[in-house]
Amino acid sequence: MELEYFILFLPLLAAFISGFLGKFIGHRSSEIITSLFTSVSAILSILVFYKVMDQSYENNIIISTWLNSGSLNVNWSIKIDALSSVMLVVVTLISALVHIYSIGYMSHDPHRSRFMAYLSLFTFSMLTLVTSDNFLQLFFGWEGVGLCSYFLIGFWFKKESANAAAIKAFIVNRVGDFGFALGIFLIFYLFGTINYEEVFQKIPQISNKEIVFLGIHLNAINLICILLFIGAMGKSAQILLHTWLPDAMEGPTPVSALIHAATMVTAGVFLVVRCSPIYEYSQLALSLITIVGMTTALFAASVALAQNDIKKIIAYSTCSQLGYMFFAVGVGAYNVAMFHLFTHAFFKALLFLGSGSVIHSFKDEQDINQMGGVWKRLPYTYILMVIGTLALTGFPFLSGFYSKDAIIEFAYLRGSTTGYYAATIGIFTALLTSIYSWRLIFKTFHGSYNNKKLDIKSMHDSPMVMILPLLILAIGAIGAGYLFKDLFIGHNISYEFWGSSIKFLKPLSQDHPPTWFIFLTPVLVVISIPFSFYLFVKNKNLVEQIVEGNKSLYLFLKNKWYFDELYEFIFVKSLKKAGHYLWKKIDIGFIDRFGPDGISKLIKILSLKAVKFQSGYIYQYAFVMLIGFSILLTFLIIK
Amino acid sequence: MIVHAIFFYTFSLIAVVSAIMVTVSRNTVHSVFFLILDFISISCLFIMIGAEFLGMIMLIVYVGAVAVLFLFVVMMLNVVQQKNTLFESVSDGKHIPIGLLISLVIFFELIIVIGGWKYKPDLLNSISLNISSELTNTHSLGYVLYTDYIHLFQLSGIILLVAMVGAIVLTFRKRSGLKRQSYFKQISREKVEGVDLVTVDSKKGVKIDV
Amino acid sequence: MFEIGLGHYLTLAAIIFSIGLAGVFLNRKNIIVILMSIELILLAVNINLVSFSIFINDLTGQIFTLFILTVAAAEAAIGLAIIVVYYRNSGTIRVEEIDQLKG
Repeated sequence: MELEYFILFLPLLAAFISGFLGKFIGHRSSEIITSLFTSVSAILSILVFYKVMDQSYENNIIISTWLNSGSLNVNWSIKIDALSSVMLVVVTLISALVHIYSIGYMSHDPHRSRFMAYLSLFTFSMLTLVTSDNFLQLFFGWEGVGLCSYFLIGFWFKKESANAAAIKAFIVNRVGDFGFALGIFLIFYLFGTINYEEVFQKIPQISNKEIVFLGIHLNAINLICILLFIGAMGKSAQILLHTWLPDAMEGPTPVSALIHAATMVTAGVFLVVRCSPIYEYSQLALSLITIVGMTTALFAASVALAQNDIKKIIAYSTCSQLGYMFFAVGVGAYNVAMFHLFTHAFFKALLFLGSGSVIHSFKDEQDINQMGGVWKRLPYTYILMVIGTLALTGFPFLSGFYSKDAIIEFAYLRGSTTGYYAATIGIFTALLTSIYSWRLIFKTFHGSYNNKKLDIKSMHDSPMVMILPLLILAIGAIGAGYLFKDLFIGHNISYEFWGSSIKFLKPLSQDHPPTWFIFLTPVLVVISIPFSFYLFVKNKNLVEQIVEGNKSLYLFLKNKWYFDELYEFIFVKSLKKAGHYLWKKIDIGFIDRFGPDGISKLIKILSLKAVKFQSGYIYQYAFVMLIGFSILLTFLIIK
Repeated sequence: MIVHAIFFYTFSLIAVVSAIMVTVSRNTVHSVFFLILDFISISCLFIMIGAEFLGMIMLIVYVGAVAVLFLFVVMMLNVVQQKNTLFESVSDGKHIPIGLLISLVIFFELIIVIGGWKYKPDLLNSISLNISSELTNTHSLGYVLYTDYIHLFQLSGIILLVAMVGAIVLTFRKRSGLKRQSYFKQISREKVEGVDLVTVDSKKGVKIDV
Repeated sequence: MFEIGLGHYLTLAAIIFSIGLAGVFLNRKNIIVILMSIELILLAVNINLVSFSIFINDLTGQIFTLFILTVAAAEAAIGLAIIVVYYRNSGTIRVEEIDQLKG
């Protein structure tokens, strides 16, 4: 039994035990079992990561054959290489910490064993996704995390808005999955196989092939990359398919930390990096990814400025950082994207869990306008969230600094106008990030106490079981950047580390941008701290004047650039009508009428008629027999 | 031959008419009487045709037993007072035409069979039991019945036995609450449960549980 | 017409048979008439058998008739017993009111 089996199946086992036996073993036991198993999984993943780091360990364990039909051979497998081991660490570590945190956060919930079961099930699906060696298992994990996300977002299913949000997440994801599935079909059509090894080997051979898609001639590889990217857009909430992410905050905060900060939304980035051998041959797709990533980053940051719900701000922040990751992928710096993914997991999960702690202390209040002035009363939460914010904004020497600035530098180093343009937007977005993040901190912890319902004396910090995971994450947020930067993005060591898991057609440039450029972002970020302090604590009237003066812009940002309304108008109304029509007229009126309902009604009518034959009168029975007899006789005689 | 014909037509006319009257008459006792008349006329027909044993047996069994049984039951069930006519029922006489039609159909088919049937040419040669003209009908029947067909004979005896037992079982009514002597219970009584020594207080009396 | 042959007897039997048959379902009076009609049918069969036996000089027909006689008697007895019990339980033997087999 190799280590990898344990990593993958312990969470699954925990999910089964907690989900099906939760009633029998009690809540406390399910919490302990799930947290324990995922923690063991996390420790094992760290061991595997160490092995990969140290000895360039690579492995592809085939658990069993899944499909073997004609030329299609798909296996259940656990593929360990640099890329998947990094993801393993991220997923299991964050998942274990979230499990432990949930013990405290959900302590008042009567359904906590179901919650823990879903969390573990999600972990298992994500692990299946990252350890697959073929597109089909990836898709299986993809769908699995989408499903668990549905379960978890709609966990409090008695709430109408939670149900709606869960469905929205699932459906928007579905749109992306459609593109993804088309991509997989195309890969199979072109290569006859969907195993990574074989596909990646054959890519260079068809680099000039053309396909007709919907009547348009397209380069095959471009088409594959674009279709796969559509799937990634849905899962990672890039612009156009992002509408589900803010609404997904209906779920409990640990869910947001696990799924919408560290793991599920990064599946899209993982997909694109995993398919780097394909993407390297498609310049068009890479440019598309860059543009989408950039736009998303800017869009999300701008919207976050005008939000009032603490979790929504952090959600848009996630969306924005994902835009950065895709941005990095688009300029060909896959390892930088993975590095940012790695550091982002730490500080974003820290921020989410910290905000959960705040919400817990404020007795489920999520509006930052109703908070303020509690930094002395919630010391641990305050310090940890400040650490998280510093890391997020890219304060010098914390983890975000290394990863985010690396992205901006690589954009600049591209040289062309798109490169400069992209770098500018990146810096501007970093500024916005800083402003809204500090806005969140200041409005939540500083200034005057604005809460109408609770007395400030009743504010107390969260229990240790919730603070401990935050501490561990804070350590990661501080140190992960410095400790791992050489490994992930250092010039020579990183190529050795990543090995064959990421493909670079030509190695990344080793130049450095001019010194003024390197200092630009950190300086801006540091200056923005007192700037935001002034805006949001000292002189609030200035903010209000700005808002009043640009009312329409403010509303535009607050209403998320009116995307939801736009989609409602274009897609939702007509689809809803179509669905309703199909349901009432066709499903009920046609299929059911000629199918089960119709047949059962018909049988009922016929049998009611047939009942009349049995009148109970014997002479009628005799009469009928006689009629039959006479017919028989006539028949025989005529013959 | 003409005498034969006259007798035949007389008897058959009486038989047919009384058959119709069995069905049609309003009084059920009249129906039974017409049934008796039917049996008698057919019996006469049998005697005329040469199967006198059968004719006599029919008189004894059918008329003497079955028809009388019918009469018993009719009298017992007070059917006489339920004087219904053919046309008093719920759905009037709507059923009559169809019923008659079907009967007529069957009748005509039977006639067709009788008229158009071609009998086997050697029908007379495939006789299994020859009717000898020296023996009486009774004699010849007895000759065969108790030897070759003895099993069937016994079997029909058993059938009759079963019918008798069945009829008794079906209609047997046990009246509850009758006090009857049960020898078995009397003999198997023990002293323990039979006699009970009780000291009686004066002027108090004894409670007796039956 | 005056030469009485097998056909005449068979016709007679056919007539009585049909009358008996009609009696089974044409009467609405009471069950006993149905039983009597059944006796008529059996009688018709007897005529058939005996006339065949006489005209072919084969004794088998008469033996069979004897057995039919026996069975008819037994059946009439049982049938009447059933009617008696039924009358005890339901109080009527009017055909229209006997519809407990109604499905």
